[in-house]
Amino acid sequence: MPVPAASPLRSLPAGLFALICALSMPGAEGHSQNRTITYLDPQEHTNLYPPAGGFYPNGGILSQITDRLTWQDPTTLEIRPWLATDWSMNEDDTEYTFHIRPGVTFSDGSPLDARAVAQNYQTYGKGNPALHFPVSEAISNFDRAEVIDPLTVRFHFTHPAPGFLQATSVLGSGIVSPGTLQRSFDELGTATNIIGSGPFVVSADIPGKEVDLSARKDYNWGPENRPARAKTDQIKILVVPEDSIRVGALLAGQADIIRQVEAYDEEQIRHAGYSLHAPSTRGVNTGIAFRPDNPLVADIRVRKALLHGTDRQEIVTVLYSENYPLARSVLSSKAAGFVDLSEKLKFDPVLAGQLLDSAGWRRGENGLRYKDGHPLRLGIHISLPHPQNKTMLELVAQQWRRLGVELDIMSGSAAGVLLDNLDPQRTPLTVSEVGRADPDVLKSEFFPKNRDALLQKGGQSNKVQHFQDETLNAMLLDIASRTDRAERLKQVVAVQEYLIDKAYDIPLFEEPQVYATSPNLTGLGFEAVGRPVFQNVELNRP
Amino acid sequence: MSSFRHVCIQLIRALLILWGAFTVTFFLLQMMPGDAVMVRFMDPELGLSPEQIEAMRVLYSGSSSPVFQYFHTILRMLHGDFGYSVQLGVPVRTLIEAALPVTLRLAVVGFILSLVWTLLIAIGASLLPARPLRQIFQAIPGFWSAIPLYWSGIFIIQVLSFKLRLLPVVGVGPWEGTILPALAVSLPIAAPQAKLLLQQIEETERLPFVMAIRTKGASQRSVFFRHILPNSVTPCLTMAGISFGELIAGAIVTETIFGLNGLGRLTRDAVSGQDVAVLQAVVMIGATGFVAANLVVDLLIPLINPSLRSSAGWKETSGS
Repeated sequence: MPVPAASPLRSLPAGLFALICALSMPGAEGHSQNRTITYLDPQEHTNLYPPAGGFYPNGGILSQITDRLTWQDPTTLEIRPWLATDWSMNEDDTEYTFHIRPGVTFSDGSPLDARAVAQNYQTYGKGNPALHFPVSEAISNFDRAEVIDPLTVRFHFTHPAPGFLQATSVLGSGIVSPGTLQRSFDELGTATNIIGSGPFVVSADIPGKEVDLSARKDYNWGPENRPARAKTDQIKILVVPEDSIRVGALLAGQADIIRQVEAYDEEQIRHAGYSLHAPSTRGVNTGIAFRPDNPLVADIRVRKALLHGTDRQEIVTVLYSENYPLARSVLSSKAAGFVDLSEKLKFDPVLAGQLLDSAGWRRGENGLRYKDGHPLRLGIHISLPHPQNKTMLELVAQQWRRLGVELDIMSGSAAGVLLDNLDPQRTPLTVSEVGRADPDVLKSEFFPKNRDALLQKGGQSNKVQHFQDETLNAMLLDIASRTDRAERLKQVVAVQEYLIDKAYDIPLFEEPQVYATSPNLTGLGFEAVGRPVFQNVELNRP
Repeated sequence: MSSFRHVCIQLIRALLILWGAFTVTFFLLQMMPGDAVMVRFMDPELGLSPEQIEAMRVLYSGSSSPVFQYFHTILRMLHGDFGYSVQLGVPVRTLIEAALPVTLRLAVVGFILSLVWTLLIAIGASLLPARPLRQIFQAIPGFWSAIPLYWSGIFIIQVLSFKLRLLPVVGVGPWEGTILPALAVSLPIAAPQAKLLLQQIEETERLPFVMAIRTKGASQRSVFFRHILPNSVTPCLTMAGISFGELIAGAIVTETIFGLNGLGRLTRDAVSGQDVAVLQAVVMIGATGFVAANLVVDLLIPLINPSLRSSAGWKETSGS
């Protein structure tokens, strides 16, 4: 629109602009050292009962306000002391004894001692039906906790529990005050009700909008890489669902750290001189799992055809960035026991076509494959928590269409999706992924009593007619209960090979959690599965 | 006397509508497949076994029948107790107390802005001296209603906040944080109102009495403000009442874009989590907003438009 050059209309907005600028940014330059740090998360937190800490927004809060018995070094994956100074277990891993560090207190002043730890694990290991607390996924075979002396606690297990030591380091095992666990589960969605011993304390929680954290000045019991109190006094966690607004707010200086940067925004952020962080979630890679109970994918030739008919490299190149490495197995290459199976995962459309032909799926006139008049049409639900999941599935659909296979991409309400995902007839395919830095993660994803990604008979769903893989289940149980580490990792390798040989899963990429920070911010840390740690975060003068 | 009766009838009707809304939503929510307990505890992040999930369901719902729960819920709500959100682990009351002021602020500011736009458009389209200028104003409603809120919201933020840096969008106070979203939401609300007002003005202008006044030599401006505008606003007010109700029921898109924790966002999350307690409370608040806005409009119209006073028993009191 043409505007006359020197009209008074032009100077009015300019003057107003200068005025508002002067008002809205008073002395922002002056005291950046102790300025509140603003962190933007796309989602609001839900229930903060620590075993529910797997949900990213929950993990982002819990990892600041709770400590765990042990700390898992994110690079070596070794288990190191934290609240526990040392520990021992019996021969068959059915008894673990921990010595608690003296002098640790919860933020309400009560002592963190053997009694408090025992109460936490009793609740996480057994649940508390009266208060609606479910049991923790990370702790299996738990029997009871025993207080030996004020600073020594022993846990008893009904069966060997070799994964337990690592389980004491995960976010879901954060220690909270006995008072917190006397509240009902329904009250733990209010962040101020969670009393931990971590470097920060929740000072305010506005539902759906904001959680404010303030540093504990007396904190000196952190793990070895960050023993002292937090470097910043105040952190403000804000919920900003819209991607472009989080990125824009960061670049406009309205925020310091943002979570969930999509691959297509990375270039823009890097170009502006901002930093990207992409810690791996180190567990089961993002992929597509089959439900062989559905007759369409019961034939291993069909599953193999789809495995080799998926151009995984194209998916990673077209949609993602170098922060999303191509999967070389079901497990992340940064996970313990990883084995490189790239040779078995090659893109080979010719082989795929032959396999489908031999399985009796013939191309019809429209290019789709039919058998007994039925098309090869497979349903899958979009999995919202995963980066660009819808676009990714659309690309897979294009690739499969060339094979003559139709991928039916569905979406729906949370309950609808859950119900559909329990019915192998409606969803012969599902998006799979779990983040946990322990070999137990394979059991978590595939064992029928756990997440049951393949939907086996006697597992999570009562809609399954007959599919069951006893060989796989026995191997998974073996991982969870074998005490010798080397033997255990050998079994982990065997399971990965078995899953690919049976073509139960098409691993696509290693999922990172991508964060961006402003150029003058330092010290952002991550725990083993990519949740942020704000303890050493600080703003330096630009 | 009869004006009192009129108000009473309107009030009773409003209460009946609220009760109906409650009953319908209660049973519709009961009929939905799945429930909040399932969504919460089947969450793969928790990794519970089917037996454990079933145990949780029994713990939450007990064995009471839907009819018992219906009366139980009504009684609880009348006491101001809305229960707990199974998804979030927070009393529903706390959620509403946080969300309602946000939405009300957005609705009131956005609504007032939309009325300002409507009037400005009407005045511009009727009184501006040059015909092309008037035509530009006449085209605005159509143009605004064609802009998706999603786009205009992001555009407003990108330009006003990120490029010109007039106002931050994140981490601002409640009133500062209302300005930009209210601006965004006011445009699509103003568009149909302005369109309707322009049509009405056009019709009123053709009425014989307007011609008569004109021929007596009244100025264009005084005819417009004294006669045309008052005789054209009635349908526009009814529509404004409806759009205000819509604003209360939740500007989901605006709230998502601007990161506001209002009722719209709360509703969206409650729907996706099948959080029945939250949904029931939100529906009641939305219904109350609609009913209250329409009640106010019903009672206001006779005060503004003289020709309607004779009906509905307002004649007697109109002089007092």
